[in-house]
Amino acid sequence: MTRYALTSDSSVSVEVVSASLACCTLELQAALNSGALTRVSEGGTGPSVIVIAGTVTDALVPSVLELIHSYPGAKVMSFGACATSGGPYWDSPPVSKGIDQFVEVTAYVAGCPPRPDAFIQAIQEISSDRVF
Amino acid sequence: MKHSFIALIEDKCTSCMLCVRECPAWCIHLDSHTVDVTEEGARRPRKVNVLDSFEIDYSLCMYCGVCIDVCPFDALAWDEHRALVTNNREDMLLGIEELGPSGSS
Amino acid sequence: MPRSSTWEKVEPADWRSTIEELREKGFIFFDFLTGVDQENVDGNNACEVVAHLATKDLSNSHFVTTQVLDELPSITDLIPAAQWYERECTEMFGVKFIGGSAKPLLRHENLGRPPLRKSTVLAARVLTPWPGAAEPEIKEDGRKVGNASRRRQRPPGVPDNWLQT
Repeated sequence: MTRYALTSDSSVSVEVVSASLACCTLELQAALNSGALTRVSEGGTGPSVIVIAGTVTDALVPSVLELIHSYPGAKVMSFGACATSGGPYWDSPPVSKGIDQFVEVTAYVAGCPPRPDAFIQAIQEISSDRVF
Repeated sequence: MKHSFIALIEDKCTSCMLCVRECPAWCIHLDSHTVDVTEEGARRPRKVNVLDSFEIDYSLCMYCGVCIDVCPFDALAWDEHRALVTNNREDMLLGIEELGPSGSS
Repeated sequence: MPRSSTWEKVEPADWRSTIEELREKGFIFFDFLTGVDQENVDGNNACEVVAHLATKDLSNSHFVTTQVLDELPSITDLIPAAQWYERECTEMFGVKFIGGSAKPLLRHENLGRPPLRKSTVLAARVLTPWPGAAEPEIKEDGRKVGNASRRRQRPPGVPDNWLQT
């Protein structure tokens, strides 16, 4: 778990836990290293965000749930089409059709993969409690 | 040009259903009806499709661009818009108005 | 990348002897073995098996292909490295390799049909209403709202006899 603050407004910070399951992770890493977010050691009281980036198969669901439950109160971000609905694998038997079947999702980010700036926007929305 | 959104140019759509049928994610929904248009001098009225609704489910869309490629009328196009971050999956189903190209609204 | 590649199609009965001859000719680098679905080719639901071998310096390579219906002799005694690929081919394409290992590789044993065969129907495509079924005078669920007479379109990847009429 790493705490990131918005470079444009350092009073806003969130803790990011990423579940890197497939290719969406590349965009997520690009976003974390894009300069729009700064790594901070402490400070800020923003929430923890668990980012589910990639395809969640039925076999992986218990592990994903374990991760989410190990951060009580954390907000779940469904990053990309796979985590949201199964995406390109919507017709594939082993792939679960959206993590919102198992957990409450705070932010859905559309894209396959979403652009890095979509992740920054999602962090802004979650941390400012504007919508969520 | 960012390939971050697929926009619909409503005026160009003829409801031909090609994009809907080619979409590998089955994420486009189109509803239309036909009306008879009688043109002056024509022997019988011409059937014209009228677009009622057009929706792209951005929770499923994989941005492959097949719909843009197959559209014979260039009614679909890459756009710099982005489907907004939401906390409700149903909000990811965007209709004709939300699908307009950037600069149109 | 090999400088020159050649292709050869053989009968299943000549599969082992062809691989053996190639090995004696110096094609000792085994690259891969895989299947290619040949649904409805010549009226058969066959599967093509492809093996790729190369010389040690990778200057020449050779593809051997054969069309099989369900089984093929294993080449693992000639090329032990082929076992992993044969097991994968069994799981994904349903081709049995006689004399090879029957141990499952990634999938649970006998769980469903081989996923990479086109004849394996994905049930989600049958159960999900296909948006493409709609026409200007037909709704997505098949309801007619005008005097539509066109034959209903079929969703891709779903055989006719899986759909209710």
